[in-house]
Parts: sequence; structure tokens; C-alpha cells
Amino acid sequence: MLQATNLTKNYSGHPALTDLNLSVAPGEVYCLLGANGAGKTTTINLFMNFIQPTSGEVMVNGLNAQALETKKYLAYIPENLNLYGNLTGSENLQFFAGLGGAKPDKPASEKLLESVGLQPEAIHKRVAQYSKGMRQKVGIAIAKAKQADNLLLDEPTSGLDPQASNDFARLLRDMKENRVAILMATHDLFRAKESGTHIGIMKAGILVHSLKSDEITLTELENLYLETMKAESHAKTNY
Amino acid sequence: MLKLIIKKEILTALRDIRLQISGGILIVLMLTAVLVGRQGQRKIGVERTKAQSAMYDKWLNQGNKHPHSAAHYGQFAFKPKPVLSFLDVGLDNYTGISVFLEAHKQNEILFSAAQDSNGMTRFGEMTAALILQVLLPLLIIFLTFNIFSKEREEGTLKLIHAQGLSLRQLFLGKVWGTYLMVLLIFLPIIVLAYLLLDDQSVNLDGGVTMKFLSLTSGYAIYFLVFVLLCVLISAFAKSSGFSLLLLLGLWIVSCIILPKATTNLADKVYPSPSQFEFRKTIKDKVKKGIDGHNPSDVRLASLKQQVLDQYGVSTIEELPVNWSGIAMQAGEEYTDQVYDSEFSKIEEIFKRQNRLSEWAGFVNPYLAVRNLSMALAGTDFEHHIAFARAAENYRRAFVKKMNKDMEVNHKPGVGYGDYNVGMEMWASIEPFSYQLPSTGTILSNQWRSITALVFWLVILFFLANIYAPKISKL
Repeated sequence: MLQATNLTKNYSGHPALTDLNLSVAPGEVYCLLGANGAGKTTTINLFMNFIQPTSGEVMVNGLNAQALETKKYLAYIPENLNLYGNLTGSENLQFFAGLGGAKPDKPASEKLLESVGLQPEAIHKRVAQYSKGMRQKVGIAIAKAKQADNLLLDEPTSGLDPQASNDFARLLRDMKENRVAILMATHDLFRAKESGTHIGIMKAGILVHSLKSDEITLTELENLYLETMKAESHAKTNY
Repeated sequence: MLKLIIKKEILTALRDIRLQISGGILIVLMLTAVLVGRQGQRKIGVERTKAQSAMYDKWLNQGNKHPHSAAHYGQFAFKPKPVLSFLDVGLDNYTGISVFLEAHKQNEILFSAAQDSNGMTRFGEMTAALILQVLLPLLIIFLTFNIFSKEREEGTLKLIHAQGLSLRQLFLGKVWGTYLMVLLIFLPIIVLAYLLLDDQSVNLDGGVTMKFLSLTSGYAIYFLVFVLLCVLISAFAKSSGFSLLLLLGLWIVSCIILPKATTNLADKVYPSPSQFEFRKTIKDKVKKGIDGHNPSDVRLASLKQQVLDQYGVSTIEELPVNWSGIAMQAGEEYTDQVYDSEFSKIEEIFKRQNRLSEWAGFVNPYLAVRNLSMALAGTDFEHHIAFARAAENYRRAFVKKMNKDMEVNHKPGVGYGDYNVGMEMWASIEPFSYQLPSTGTILSNQWRSITALVFWLVILFFLANIYAPKISKL
């Protein structure tokens, strides 16, 4: 369960996020849409406690996100997943999953990596030779290995090929079925509509719209998004 | 978790080609320094033992002569080469190796390696100590300068933190991981160095094994201090480049600038007289008396009167003993007093200078380990002084014996050339031998350096404990 209450983050007096209220229950996928700088990554960073809120509260499974303990309930995949280049995919998985409390041995890590679509011949190659999509798959395997209650995704499909992106959507479905609460920041309207149970549209640090995904068609979502963005640019011009 | 981080740190470092090359070069240098150093130390040790023995043979076979002539014929004392000096030559190249022992004066210890070398000696020999104290910290810098900043720059720090690892655990993992890497280089070579010692060497020098263990522990603490310092700086540096710049600056200051500055400061605070001034003071005091109002002729006249009164005679010709023997021994003893007084003053100046350098270990851990290493290797100033004292005691004893023989056996009226002694007399003087200070003595002398190293360790762990949780994750 992920919950933000009146969450605000300012950087040197400039608002990056203003009064955000949202909650993601187990089995829900909440997709945050918005232009760059809308506050999506700031929201994820606050849930991960990479930064501290200016005001408001961030809760993970009922615990304040600033408590280190919450990390065992959280899995995280950033937009650009950088791993250790001179370790293999399998070694990276064993290291990060090990830190998260899971202890996959070599065969288990191979199986996990294969399950997220990494080619078997790549598993024992050093990550320095991986493409972005391959690294992203290792990140997904790390998140899977952790078997956390909540998953935070920051533009996870950016740079993935269509096949990998599709595999990723399947993975999200599996996790949703396993009652994982998922909060995903994305630019991909199609993926948000397809995978999300809830969709939020953000602009200038404010959650402007929050709706259930089955209440809206993809076209309506697209129009709503564009109108919101236009309003933003008008607002900026007027400002 | 700690184990995982340590394993990862070692694995990534071992696979880093830059570290493979720099670590490899360091290992080769260390091996060369240890092997060549040990061979050289053994050769010099044998040479000095042979020279000492040859000089004693020469003493024994000097033929029949007057004991005072024998006191001037003199002997040589050779400074034994301490077994562990192959690891740290310390001041050995500058302090001289042998001293000529003769009647009436304390000679300087001469024939230092620096006297026989070109100016390059001033830049130091490539010894194990130089590598351990100066170059290995450089490797630590290359291992650690981006240990945090790279993770931050590449985003892996966020991913690590996301797994629930506290920054304190991460910090410690990185410290221990790097430290183990350093020990992987250091320990095998130091063990090899110990194995190079033969049984005879181990039994010499008042407990070489203990000295070796203390030396190893001193370096082990020093490396941990350096690793902690570097990881701490890397953790708070804004970028890898800035971290490298900062650490290299710190290395230059602590290993090059501060040691020189400390020496200069010690010389300014506790100035030592020049060799010329020192010798002139001694000469003047012997001539004019310690207080300047007791010239040698007055002293001699007073002694003469005292001896005549003691034997109840009015001329030295009537004495049952040899007046010259008594006068010479009295002269010796007076000169000894002057030397003792002046040497103790200059020794105190040097000791104060060294103490300042030892206190400076609280500012610069390099100085602490350098002083401790020299002391345990037997190449510091204290060892030099201990040898000088042993040689001087030996000189006084043998000169006294010559004077005593002259006083008792050279009957009045017998001409100087008519009284001679021979081999039996010479053999009654034992050959010079010198026992190096024990490990306990060295460690108690070096308490400031040891405390400084421990102080650094405690302070850095304390700072790490406070500041590690404040490391930026982004």
C-alpha cells in the first residue's frame, strides 16, 4: 500500500510537487503521466526516501517512508538502470537481490533472468556489454527477486524495444495479480491505459487529474492529456 | 549484507584493468624491494661482522707496545645492520656505520651511505617502507576516489539504497572491501619477507618476530586509517574528479610537504648547533674547565698534589705508582664529563625534534607510521644513539684498562719505550658487541606514534558513524 498525503517538495523555494494526495492499494497499478518536470520522478524519489518532503507524509504499508524498514516492502526500477559494468548480469542480480534480503543462488538467478526475457547466453556476460533494454531486464529481475509488496517504476519502458516492452507489460500483469501495489511514472499513454488501473496526469508539480483507467478510452485519455499540457503551456505563456 | 558488499568491492576492483596494472606494478616493486633489500641487508650484515672481527684480530695482533700506545692504536666499533632494516632503512644511510675508538676523544660515527653516494640518495631508496608508506596509499586513492561518487554518478547508489541497505552499512562494506584488497597485496609480501629471515636472524635483535608483528600491525592500522579517510572523502565529494583532486592533494601534503615542513619546524623550534660549534665547545671546556674557571693545568696541579698527599711523598718520582697513568685516566674522566654534558644537550635537542615529529603524527598519520616503522626496523635515531652509547662505554672501559695497567705496572723511572704489554693484555679486552633495544623498549619509546595511529582510527570511525548516514543518495 502506497500513500501520499498533502505531499509537497520545494527546491530552494521553487515547488517541484504541491499538495499531492494519492494512494495505491495492493493489486492496483497507478500510472503517473506528465511532461518532463511535472513532478513524477520527484514523487517516486519521495516514496523511495531519496529526498525528504518539504511537508506532508509518504507512507509505505502504513510506515513513514523515511524509515529504512520500508525498503523491504519496496522494489524500484529507475529510468536508466545502471548496474556494475564489470559484473555479469547474474552477479549483479545476486548482489542487489542479496541486499534486498533474497538470496538467489546461481541457478535461481539464471532462471529469474530468463523469466524476464534475458537471452541465456547474455546471463554470464559482463553488463558493460549489455544494451539498455538488457540492463532494464536485469532491473526487473532484481525487483521480482525481492517479492516486495510495492513496486515503484520510473519510466521503466523508456528505451525498451516493442518485444521487451510487451514482456514488461506481462510482468506488470503478473505482479498486479499477485496483489503488488504499483506506482509507475511514464510518458507512454498506451502502456498506462493498458496496464494501469488508475491514471494520474500531473503538471508543474500538481496532480491535475486522477481517474480510473476503465472510465476512459485511450483516445479520451490522449485528448485529456494534450489539453492539460496545452493549459500548462498557456499558463506558462500567460505567466 | 556486509559480506555481499565486500565481495562485490573486491570483485569489481579485481576486474578493473587500471587497478590490475597499478596493483601489479606495486606488487612487483614490493617484491623487488623486499628481495633486494634482504639480500643487501644480509651482505652488509656479513661485511660488518667480518670487519668487526678483522679489526679485533688486528687489535690482538698489534704486537707488544705500551698500553697508552695501544689506547691510541684504538679499535673500531661497527654498527650491526638490524635484521629488519631491509624493510625500512630509516636514518641508516645518514648516521654512519662505524666509529674509531681511541684514548682522549669520542669520535664521530662515520662512513654513512649518503657520504659515498650521489645526490640521488636524498630522494630515498626504493624500500618496502617507502612503498608501504607512500605508494600503497596512492593505490588506495585509486581504489577509493570514486567508490561513492561513481555509484552516485551512475545511479547504482539509488539502487543499493532501494534494497534497504543503510548508508552506514554501505560505508563500512566499502571500507572493509577496500581494506581487504589492500591486505591481499600487503600480507603475502610481508609473510614472504618474514620467511626470508633465517633462524640466526630471528634469534638476533632481541625478538625479531615480535618486532615484525608490531611492524605489520602498525602498517595494518595505517592502511585502515588511509582507507577510512579516502572513503569518507569520496562519500562527500561532489564528483569523482573533485574527489581524486582532493585525495591527491591530501597525499602530496601528508607524504611530501608535511614531513619536510615538520623537520624544518623541529629545527626552527629546537635549533641544533653546527658540527664546528659543537666540537669547539667541547675543546674549550676540556681546556678551560666545564665552568670555564678550571683550566687543565690547574686541574692537573691539584690532582698531583692530591696523589702526592695520598702516598705521603713530595715528588712524583717517589710515587709507588705511575703518575702518567693516573693523570691520563683523570684526564679521560674529565673529558668524558665534558662529552657527556655536551652530548646529552645535543641528544636532548635531537630527541625534542623527534618528539615533535612524533606528536605531528596526530596531524599526519604518515609521520606516525614512519616513526614507528623506523623504530621497529632498528634504523631510527634512538637506535643510533643506543649504538653510540654502547661504543662509547666500550671505549671508556678499554681505555681505562690501559690506563690502569700503566698506573699499576709501569714503574716510575722506567722509560716509556721500556714498558710494553702484549697479546695477553689485548685479549683481556672482549670484542665489541652490541644488543639492539628490545621490542618493549621500542614500543614504549614510540607511544606517541602508536597513540596517534589509534587516535586517527578512532576519530575516523567516529566521523564515519556520524556522517555516513548523511551521504547524499542522488
